[in-house]
Amino acid sequence: MSGPLLALRDVTVGFGGVTVLDGITLDVGRGEIRGLIGPNGAGKTTLLNVVCGIHPPHRGDVLLDGKSIVGRKPSAIAAQGLGRTFQTSQLFRGMTVLENLMTGLHRRTRTGLLGAAFNLGSYRAEEEQAEAEARKALEFIGMAEFADRPGTALSFGQQRVIEIARTLIGDPKVVLLDEPAVGLSLNRLAEFDRLLRRIRDEKGVTLILIEHVIRLVMDVCDRVTVLSTGRVIADGTPDAVRNDPDVIEAYLGKELRARHTAS
Amino acid sequence: MALFGRRNILLALLLLGAAAPFFVNSYQLFVANLIVVFVLLSIGLNILVGYAGQLAFANAAMFGIGAYGTGLLQVHFGLPFWMAFPLGAVIATSVGLAISLPALRVSGLYLALSTLAFAEFTRWVFLHWESVTFGAGGFKTPPVSFEPLPVSKPVGLYYLSLILATVLVVLAQNLVRSRIGRAFVAVRDGEVAAESLGIDLLRYKALAFGISGFYAGIAGGLYSAMLNYVSPEGYDLFQMVLHKAMIVVGGIASIGGSVLGAFAVVALLEGLREVKGVQEIAFGAILVVFILFMPGGIAAFLRRKVRGWDEPVHRAGPPPNPDPAAAARPASEAARP
Amino acid sequence: MLLLSYLLLSGVTTGALYALVALGIVVVNKATGVINFAHGELFMFSGFVAWSLHVGAGLAYPIALPLAVAAGFALGVATDRIAFRPLMKADVISLVLATVGIAFVLRGVARVIWGGKADYLAFPPITSPEPVMLGEIMVIPQQLAVLGGAIVVMLIFAAFFRLTRAGKMMQATADNAKAATLVGIRTERIYTLSFGTGAAIAAAAAVLMAPLTLLYPDMGFAFFIKGFAAAVLGGLTSLPGAVLGGLTIGVIEALAGGYIHSSFIEVSAFVVIMIVLIVRPTGLLGVSRVRRV
Repeated sequence: MSGPLLALRDVTVGFGGVTVLDGITLDVGRGEIRGLIGPNGAGKTTLLNVVCGIHPPHRGDVLLDGKSIVGRKPSAIAAQGLGRTFQTSQLFRGMTVLENLMTGLHRRTRTGLLGAAFNLGSYRAEEEQAEAEARKALEFIGMAEFADRPGTALSFGQQRVIEIARTLIGDPKVVLLDEPAVGLSLNRLAEFDRLLRRIRDEKGVTLILIEHVIRLVMDVCDRVTVLSTGRVIADGTPDAVRNDPDVIEAYLGKELRARHTAS
Repeated sequence: MALFGRRNILLALLLLGAAAPFFVNSYQLFVANLIVVFVLLSIGLNILVGYAGQLAFANAAMFGIGAYGTGLLQVHFGLPFWMAFPLGAVIATSVGLAISLPALRVSGLYLALSTLAFAEFTRWVFLHWESVTFGAGGFKTPPVSFEPLPVSKPVGLYYLSLILATVLVVLAQNLVRSRIGRAFVAVRDGEVAAESLGIDLLRYKALAFGISGFYAGIAGGLYSAMLNYVSPEGYDLFQMVLHKAMIVVGGIASIGGSVLGAFAVVALLEGLREVKGVQEIAFGAILVVFILFMPGGIAAFLRRKVRGWDEPVHRAGPPPNPDPAAAARPASEAARP
Repeated sequence: MLLLSYLLLSGVTTGALYALVALGIVVVNKATGVINFAHGELFMFSGFVAWSLHVGAGLAYPIALPLAVAAGFALGVATDRIAFRPLMKADVISLVLATVGIAFVLRGVARVIWGGKADYLAFPPITSPEPVMLGEIMVIPQQLAVLGGAIVVMLIFAAFFRLTRAGKMMQATADNAKAATLVGIRTERIYTLSFGTGAAIAAAAAVLMAPLTLLYPDMGFAFFIKGFAAAVLGGLTSLPGAVLGGLTIGVIEALAGGYIHSSFIEVSAFVVIMIVLIVRPTGLLGVSRVRRV
């Protein structure tokens, strides 16, 4: 199928008279790694929530693979192939790492109440396969040895990577990563960079990075979209965006203002 | 599997239970039957509160609905126990599903309030809809007969309860470590994250409420047959606290713990049968003490002390012999992506 | 007209008591984000303490009242120390169940100490229980006294919350606990103070209510759930909302009891709250708030 994988059309959101997103239109192509950056308060998180179905947009449309997903439940949108990760670690506390990954397989497994309760053969087979897949997914991120540890016993950075694996295992078409590099040290950053490329190249998953770490975005993204006060102010290759006067003003202007008020 | 593993301990309890009618007196048999009924209540509540994380207070009410349903279908419609009992459980399940509706809009403390209000409403109906429920005095149910089996009613009922409870314990254990159990735990530990993985909150909350209603309904039907009598006071707040105490003492989110919690609570209840005030003090204090000093209940204690008590959410379980070096390694220096 | 005026007055009177119970719930919830499920039992227990002081020890009502309020405050502080402070990092379920445990301990203790034959104790009326006709309207002086007392308690509380240093610190902590810590408020103390204040208001409600009705160990829960319902109706964090919610529930109960059947007095609050939670979970005045996770 051609056309963009994820498309936003004139998406507008306001809270109590304040417009947070103002007519956002943007296309993300298949197999792209897209960066979404912007100063604090630009509306990045709101945008993410609109796409995931947590906030309904007041106007506009969101299309996944050509089909509108506005008004659908977050779980239904996820089932259509939209994955996401979170700013803070959202591993399930009561589970081991392996169990977390197997939970990521939820939408791809079928066993119902009775099959599970009566321990039917089909359920056992599905469960064994799920476990094998979960272990393979851990190998993909190089964390196989952590399978049986409680997720919360790992470092923050590790938890974030496991979360990415947990989303990927559900076989999404596109994954929105909400500030995935927070808490990674500089040398980890290069590895993370490689991981993102591998996800795209080996799994064929489209990635959208909502990120503060500009270096990661500029290194790994094919295209970068810049939001400021709820509008798209630039959209292009990392080089083009870097030199865009509007972007420089949005970032530096803010910084200068901040300096001014601080003194 | 270690000698004192979870399965072996529960099997030993089952064997003891199966042999009990041969060496206990009628009072002790009654208490044993009470334990079995409370095991069902404890498991149903633990699936809802412990696994799915829904802070609900309607379990005693659903227990009552099972008992009233079973009893009233016999009294008003002349149905035999064998039909009234499963129908009573179906009614309790449906009510469980119905009260899950607010749970989809509200959670946490608001859910606690709405289920408390529902529980009080149910008790009010038991008390005041006299033409149907016979009001505060309650009503007698026809005695259950096990003919043509050569057993007395108490023994027959005890074995019926034991068989049902055994089956339902196994089914619950299978369920909680399946993808459905994982979905419950995911809903408990992070609703937004669960939804992002395609887990439908509505579906799994309703399922947990329905399952707990089913278990409580079965327990209620058996209880009404045990007592041959149904009255509102058996399904009040104190009953609710007993249920909560079972899962807190046994261990939140543990099926094995639910079973042990039922033993502990019924034993204490019988030990203190004389004085209501003292019972209240004892069970209130137990709740506080366990939450403060033994937050995982008996199950957490066993998990720490007894090899083989691990209760994984998935089938395979942790490896039999975890590499101690790997466990000792500080988490921060692991994992190169 | 006679019936309606009578029902409205008694509805407003009971409603004012529910409002006091609700205020205590809201004070604790604003500060800590949790609900003290022992709140009704703190109310009940303080009522019995007042009975012991007034009837048992023969102290005058105006002396027994503040003493019972002080006892309520102490019980609230104890609840905080036992069931809240050690569990601040635990999940909501543990916190709630711990307060449920406290509730049953108090209930049991009350039953052991005061629970006589039928568990009911009568509190002598403070004014004449006979109704008086004011033109078309029937008034029971006792109710007016209770209503007046409830209003005085609300005014004292409002003054405490707005004018005193402790009250202002409680407000600051409720608005933004982190900022409050930064300016040197010891939030743990504020939590304790909130539990104490909430229980003291409940105690005042119990002492006001006692002359109108009988005391019994199980009465706390009914008042708790109605107060909780009133608090939710008002949005759970709004003090004026709690008062409005309490009055609403009191009046609905009285009207349902008067015009439908007396047995509906008990149940109407539960029905109202189930409907409100399904239709409008944020309450009548409240704004939706991120719940404590």
